[in-house]
Amino acid sequence: MTTVPMTRNPLSRRLALGMAAALLAVPALFSGAQAAGMDEIKKRGLIVATEDDFRPFEFVKDGKATGFDNEMIDDLRKYASFQVNQQILPWTGILAGVSTGKYDAAITAVIITKERLASLDFTSPIADATHFYVKRKDDKSISSIKDLNGKTVGVQAGSALLARLPELGAMLEKEGGKLGKVVEYTSYPEAYQDLALGRVDYVVNTVVNLQTMVAEKPGVFELGQAVSGKSYPAWAVAKGNTELLSFLNGFIAKEKETGRFAELQKKWFGEAFPNLPAKWDPEF
Amino acid sequence: MSWGDLLAILQGAVVTVTLSFAGILIGSPVGLALAVLRWADVPIAARMVAVYVSILRATPLVTLLLLLFFALPNIGIAIDPISAAILALVMNTAAFNCEVWRAALMNFPKDQYEAAQSVGMNATLRFRRIVLPQIVRASLPGLVNEMSLLIKVTPALAVVGVVDITRAAVRIGAQTYDPLPPFFVALALYAPIVFVLVSLQRWIERRQLRAEAA
Repeated sequence: MTTVPMTRNPLSRRLALGMAAALLAVPALFSGAQAAGMDEIKKRGLIVATEDDFRPFEFVKDGKATGFDNEMIDDLRKYASFQVNQQILPWTGILAGVSTGKYDAAITAVIITKERLASLDFTSPIADATHFYVKRKDDKSISSIKDLNGKTVGVQAGSALLARLPELGAMLEKEGGKLGKVVEYTSYPEAYQDLALGRVDYVVNTVVNLQTMVAEKPGVFELGQAVSGKSYPAWAVAKGNTELLSFLNGFIAKEKETGRFAELQKKWFGEAFPNLPAKWDPEF
Repeated sequence: MSWGDLLAILQGAVVTVTLSFAGILIGSPVGLALAVLRWADVPIAARMVAVYVSILRATPLVTLLLLLFFALPNIGIAIDPISAAILALVMNTAAFNCEVWRAALMNFPKDQYEAAQSVGMNATLRFRRIVLPQIVRASLPGLVNEMSLLIKVTPALAVVGVVDITRAAVRIGAQTYDPLPPFFVALALYAPIVFVLVSLQRWIERRQLRAEAA
C-alpha cells in the first residue's frame, strides 16, 4: 500500500451539497411528529420541560429548581396517577421540543399569542402577563409612557413581548412620539444587566417578572406603567393534544378550587390573580 | 452569591470536564481513523470522509446539537441531553482532528514506510511501530489546540439542558439579578482546566525529547 495524493474531485463537492441538503431535509420529513396521547403518557410517564432562568416562574437556587411552576409540578406529581419527568433547559429549545414531541408540555410561562396558537395549544392562564416597562431608578428623564419616545428598549428575542411592541409604538404615536431603537436579548438577565449599565433606557417584560426583579434590586430599578393590553401566560402542549390539555386544565382547576393556586401565586408573584380566565383567546 | 451557588458552579465544572474528556477521548481516535481512511485512499470511504469533514466543519455545534436532539427521536432514536451533547462534540471534533492527523500523515516520509515494507512488516505493524509514534508527535500541538477549543465550546451544549460551568453561572445571575460575580468564578475555572491540558502536552513532549536523547 502506498500513499496516494488526494486529488480534488468535483463529484465529491456535489455529493457534499447533496448530503447537506439531505441532512436538512430529515427534520422536515419527520416534522409531522405526533403528540403522545394520554394512553402513551400513562405508560411511559409525562415529560415536561421547564426553564432555568425565568424567576419567579422557574429558576435554580442552590442547585435546586424552584419557583411557581416547580411547586406546581410538585403538586402535579401527587395529582397524576403516572410519573412526571422533568427536563430543565433554556428557553431556546423549549417550544421546539414541545412541537416536535420531545416534551409533552412546557410547564413555563408561555405567553399566549395568535402566532403560537398555530403550532401549540395552551392551558388556562397561570398569571397576569400585562407588559410593563422597567427603568433605572436614577434615570429622571422617564416618568410616564410619553417619556419613552425615542428611547432604546431591551426585550427578549422571539418573545411575545417583542411581538407586541408595536402596541407601545401606537401609544407613543398618539402623543406625537415614536418607538426608539429595539435591542433583542436571548434572555432577560442580560437585558436587565444592560439596563443597569445604561446601554438601554428601559426593558419591557411581564408585570410579574418585573415586580420580582424590582423587589430584589430596589436601589437600581424602578417599575413603570403598563405598555400593553391584556396578556396571559400559560402552559403549552403540542397542537391538537386535547387529551393532555384537558388533563392539565383539570389539574389547574383543582388547584384553583383548593386555594393552592392563589397561595402559590401570592408566594411567588406577591399577589394572587383571582380573575384569570379559564381560556384565553389573544387579540395579538 | 452563596456557598450553594459556588457548589453549583463547581458541579458545572465537573460536567464541563467530563463532557470535554469524553469528546476528546472518543473524538481523537475517530479523527485518526477518518484520516487514515483518507490517507490510504480507501475507495468510497475516503470520499465519504472528505464529504463528512467538509459538512461538519461548516456546521455550527449548536445547530448540529439541536438537530440531533430534536430530529433523532422522530426517527425512533431516544436520546438524552448528555448523550446528544457528547455525540455532537465527537462528530464536530473528529472532523477537525481528522485534518490535524491527515496533515501529519501527508508529511510522513515515504522512504521510512518503504523501508519497513522491505523488511517484511505487515501493514498493521508498519502503522503501529513506524507511522503512529511519529505522527502523534507531529500532531500533538494541533490536537491540543483543538482540545482547548473544544473545552471552550462546551457552553454551547447548554441549549439542550446540559448544565456546564457557564450555564450554572447564568442560572445564578438569573436568580440573584447580579450576574457578574458568577461570571468571574466561571472564568477562573476554565483557565486551570485548559492549563492542565497544556501541561500534559508539555510533559509528553519533554518525555519524547528525553527518549530521543537517550
